[in-house]
Amino acid sequence: MKNRLKVLRAERDWSQAELAGRLDVSRQAVNAIETGKHDPSLPLAFRIARLFDMKIEEIFDDEG
Amino acid sequence: MTKDDRLNTAAAGPGEERTRRRLRTQWLYLGLAGAIGGVIGLSTSLFDLGDGNLFAGNWAALKLPPAVALVLAVMLLAGFLVLPLYGFRMIDDYKREHNLVGFTGGCLAVLSGFPVWAVLHAGGFVPAPQAFGVYALGFVGMFGSFLFARWRL
Repeated sequence: MKNRLKVLRAERDWSQAELAGRLDVSRQAVNAIETGKHDPSLPLAFRIARLFDMKIEEIFDDEG
Repeated sequence: MTKDDRLNTAAAGPGEERTRRRLRTQWLYLGLAGAIGGVIGLSTSLFDLGDGNLFAGNWAALKLPPAVALVLAVMLLAGFLVLPLYGFRMIDDYKREHNLVGFTGGCLAVLSGFPVWAVLHAGGFVPAPQAFGVYALGFVGMFGSFLFARWRL
């Protein structure tokens, strides 16, 4: 699944570790989501959306 | 410095501290697991009254004083049951997925490995199945599946 996580993180000048800590997941999980190797669970997708104050579908694209 | 490097080192904040705390907990967990394993190994070698070894083919020759055996049983339960279950609750979805693949691999290795071993023995190809061998099948299957999930999935 395509997503804009890396772009959103870059806009805030956050490292992967910073974003991982804010989401309470491992840095490896953030990396795997950014590279499309792992799709987050629904609760994590909601946490991501809340953190960036966006809707889930504005961050994740299931048609990509 | 590449753009990716910059992204991975920029803006230390509260999230970085939480990530460092998570890593520290992970190392503590691994240290505790290693310490438990070390104490079990040391105790079995120090107190063994026979010629056995817990993690080798001659485990049946292991003879321990009853009190030591009880303490070791508790430590084995802590090391192989309580600690992994605790760890499983602490990790995130991504790592849980790898662990589930690992557990599945270990389970399937035993489910398929034992009957295959038994029929090969019946055909005269291999020695009879033995407990440690079946245990090792599960362990190797689990570890191999985990590594596959970690680096290939």
